[in-house]
Amino acid sequence: MRSSKMKKISGNILIYLVLTVVFIVTIFPVFYTLMGSFKSNMELLTNGGRIIPSEFVFDNYKEAWKLANFKQYTSNSLFLAFFIVVGTIITSTVAGYVFERGNFRYKNLIFGMVVSSMFVSLGSLTLYPQLMIAKAFGINTSLWGVIIIRVLSMNVTNLFITRSYIRTISVEIDESAKVDGCSFFRIYISIIFPLLKPLIATLAILTFRFAWNDYLMPMVFTLSNPERMPLVVGIMNLKGSGAAASSWNLMLSGSSIAVIPMIIVYLIFNRYFIEGLTAGAVKG
Amino acid sequence: MKNKNNYIGSSSQIKWYKKDSTQAILMIAPMLIGFFLFTYAPIVYILRYAFYESNGFKDTFIGIENFIRVFTRDLAYWSSLKNALVLTFGKLAVEIPLALLLAVLLNKGRKGTGFFRITFFLPTVISAAIAGLIFSLMFGSFNGTVNGVLQSIGLIERPINWFSSRGSALFVVGFASVWNNFGINMIFFLMALQSVPKDLYECADLDGVNPIQRFFKITLPMIGPTFQVVLLNAIVGSLKMADLILSTTNGQPAGKTEVVMTYVFKYFFGYDGRAIEIGYASAMAIVTAVILALISGLYMKLSNKLGNSY
Repeated sequence: MRSSKMKKISGNILIYLVLTVVFIVTIFPVFYTLMGSFKSNMELLTNGGRIIPSEFVFDNYKEAWKLANFKQYTSNSLFLAFFIVVGTIITSTVAGYVFERGNFRYKNLIFGMVVSSMFVSLGSLTLYPQLMIAKAFGINTSLWGVIIIRVLSMNVTNLFITRSYIRTISVEIDESAKVDGCSFFRIYISIIFPLLKPLIATLAILTFRFAWNDYLMPMVFTLSNPERMPLVVGIMNLKGSGAAASSWNLMLSGSSIAVIPMIIVYLIFNRYFIEGLTAGAVKG
Repeated sequence: MKNKNNYIGSSSQIKWYKKDSTQAILMIAPMLIGFFLFTYAPIVYILRYAFYESNGFKDTFIGIENFIRVFTRDLAYWSSLKNALVLTFGKLAVEIPLALLLAVLLNKGRKGTGFFRITFFLPTVISAAIAGLIFSLMFGSFNGTVNGVLQSIGLIERPINWFSSRGSALFVVGFASVWNNFGINMIFFLMALQSVPKDLYECADLDGVNPIQRFFKITLPMIGPTFQVVLLNAIVGSLKMADLILSTTNGQPAGKTEVVMTYVFKYFFGYDGRAIEIGYASAMAIVTAVILALISGLYMKLSNKLGNSY
């Protein structure tokens, strides 16, 4: 009896040891970035072994914000994320509603075409033609191009999430509204959309994460217009420039500016993050 | 079906039904246009340009010359594909068992489970590009913190130049990718574990099954279907990695760490001082898409046993 109890305790110690090691490795890069952003450039370039700054300085943030254009980058990121989030909520819920409740010719065929696009694994390889098509419409040098492409090109994962959520709403609600003379569009506006609130929170958070973190597409669309770069692109641009070695302070403070809002949103809404991502991936 | 019967009856009801379906079409139309313009049209564009030589200004039809070039003359393409495969399978060999182990450890409802779950998922919300940047600063050769720490505890005498050789550079990239992604896989496994019926374990306990047998004979088969999908997503996602490479090594040293996505991307955009070759890039994009589809198909075939394990 006693030895099995001992075994259990030592097993528990081992488990917490594993969890703690993973915890340290997980949190270290974030901690390193935050601490590094308060180091003077002098210290960053000479003393890599010390993690906590010998003296906390805020100059990096001042320099990034004023001289290195991060104020502009941040507002670009907010602009981009805001319109993509609002637009995606509208298009995803409309698409989910139309494919779940609508009746029109070739509905299943169209739905099949949309879904099958998921299996063509081109990823970032279609960026060039997308840019060229945007160019034909004159939206290739601003963030509006990215917003329009992200909002209008149907995201299959979102479509699946909304469609299966709408399926759980009783059809009888629609039908009684129809009897009262509500049109198909009217039912969406005044009945379905308000019922989708929990789903909209999930969609908003997933889309925000995606839009805020996106790199390649906004980079391609702001190649000729650096004023419109979002944060991630702006930071990466520093790394690619010749002055990379002397701008560690800017890269670290810039990364903190990009990462902290995301972490705060995550810590507040972590339930929605986890639910949304798992729902999407398992069904997608 | 039920809907239809309700409406098709009198002529006024038919009119009503028609009005509703017109509205449905009008509501979905903007997205369908967007979908065809930005998802289908690019594929058509690539299919066409694969048979042309083009620098963005002048196009010349050259038949299957681009494909001949990929298959016979471009060794760098195949080595970038090899890098993507090495990186994918190398990092997943760590990431998937780690995610599964953590899920099993956190599934028991021990103290602090919620806290660990939230922290382990945290890297997932950080942009892959920023994650790559942070890791490349941490592993910097002269002033990176990893070298600094290793030196101060006496493990190494001189700083290691992590990005100077293919092996150590791919190690850092793989490390960054595992860090960035293990949390999501852990959550998938955790969800699957929670749906395993508790009485299965109780029966096993009565029969005196030890924890290792329990894991391989009960847990793993029960979460088989989830495991199959998670692994497929992880494989395809990792093979398509691009941001992380651009933000860490960018293919250096001398293109030895280039992966297939970044290699093709650079031909499209003339990124990094390369000449723009849209036709050739399109041909490589098609070859890559076909290879990825073959890998997924092969995987599904091989892993079917996993999916049908109960």
